[in-house]
Amino acid sequence: MKDSLVLLGRVPAHPDSRCWFLAWNPAGTLLASCGGDRRVRIWGTEGDSWICKSVLSEGHQRTVRKVAWSPCGNYLASASFDATTCIWKKNQDDFECVTTLEGHENEVKSVAWAPSGNLLATCSRDKSVWVWEVDEEDEYECVSVLNSHTQDVKHVVWHPSQELLASASYDDTVKLYREEEDDWVCYATLEGHESTVWSLAFDPSGQRLASCSDDRTVRIWRQYLPDNEQGVACSGSDPSWKCVCTLSGFHSRTIYDVAWCQLTGALATACGDDAIRVFEEDPSSDPQQPTFSLTAHLPQAHSQDVNCVAWNPKEQGLLASCSDDGEVAFWKYHRPEGI
Amino acid sequence: MAGSQDMFDAIVMADERFHGEGYQEGYEEGNSLGIIEGRQYGTLHGAKIGSEIGCYQGFASAWRCLLHSCATEKDSKKMKALESLIGMIQKFPYDDPTYDKLHEDLDKIRGKFKQVYTKSCR
Repeated sequence: MKDSLVLLGRVPAHPDSRCWFLAWNPAGTLLASCGGDRRVRIWGTEGDSWICKSVLSEGHQRTVRKVAWSPCGNYLASASFDATTCIWKKNQDDFECVTTLEGHENEVKSVAWAPSGNLLATCSRDKSVWVWEVDEEDEYECVSVLNSHTQDVKHVVWHPSQELLASASYDDTVKLYREEEDDWVCYATLEGHESTVWSLAFDPSGQRLASCSDDRTVRIWRQYLPDNEQGVACSGSDPSWKCVCTLSGFHSRTIYDVAWCQLTGALATACGDDAIRVFEEDPSSDPQQPTFSLTAHLPQAHSQDVNCVAWNPKEQGLLASCSDDGEVAFWKYHRPEGI
Repeated sequence: MAGSQDMFDAIVMADERFHGEGYQEGYEEGNSLGIIEGRQYGTLHGAKIGSEIGCYQGFASAWRCLLHSCATEKDSKKMKALESLIGMIQKFPYDDPTYDKLHEDLDKIRGKFKQVYTKSCR
């Protein structure tokens, strides 16, 4: 298990601070990290090592909690505890803050770009999820403020191919949103977790959603369209989501992040017990009741809580992780034999 | 014989009887005090909601007048959102506190107001 995940290198990304989140650019050549030092750093390779190519400072007054690249790779969004979201435009190695999105009442916890590149979602401790539209002139307009959650919203993520948004909250639920007649509505609430849901990840096909929680489980949810063969009830024309798998007993603390590799389908988790784990779906398992096996478990991956894991979108097996210890680590994952 | 039994019965059961009567009196008094307190709370809470929505309605009406003359595409989008907000406010059931979607609709109105209020960012 230990050999399936090999350390390639570490960088002290946010010294004397926490590193909260990582995002690979769509080309897989750059890694953005953000942290409690209020900065965003961009990392790239130089030979065998990872070096800091840019530092985005002067953008935020408080911790930067999440970063997200636009699908074209030319823009980076940063969500901060200072209640704003900055949009940075990339010009070779330089990044310039072109817009600051304001409106949330307190800490912005997450930001995500839709695959079309025209929509952006943010969520906050103020319990709301905001959807923003960006036009050809780089003007951002808020098109919806969704107050469906009853507590702090921790994470938002877009479906890989449809204009569908998912959010995770301290209220133990996951909610799904879609556009209906020029307005966004919450059309499904996924209940099952027994505590805060910290993060979400869609599988490459977008048919399944993984959620991870403070209840130390990962749940896999599957989408069922109306008139599906399995007889899962749907209300009207909205799809239904059902929990088809629960991974429990593997993590000894809160699971802060889950990442679904878009190349291989492997699932990585970031845990409060300082470990990184990787799961793979058993190829012979029933799609309606999939089973996942633990294929890598690296205790002490970091010296403190692991906050984020991110698969490189182009290079198979390349995984980045970051922690409360301020470090970013790079790993090579090899699926073990006999799986 | 029956008479003396009733007399002892009254004495022996006195404690329980007074307890029961006391409880009944207290219950009724508590009930009416509760109704008074509930009414006060309801008045306060209802007024808060009314005041909040009134504020949104005033804001939306003023902006509708201001935008009436403008004709850019951006303004027509804003107008649409404003009309939507005004519509939601008008549909809100002010005289039915038992309406089951009261808080859900209130949250939708708040969300719509925030969206309209947030200026386009550049």
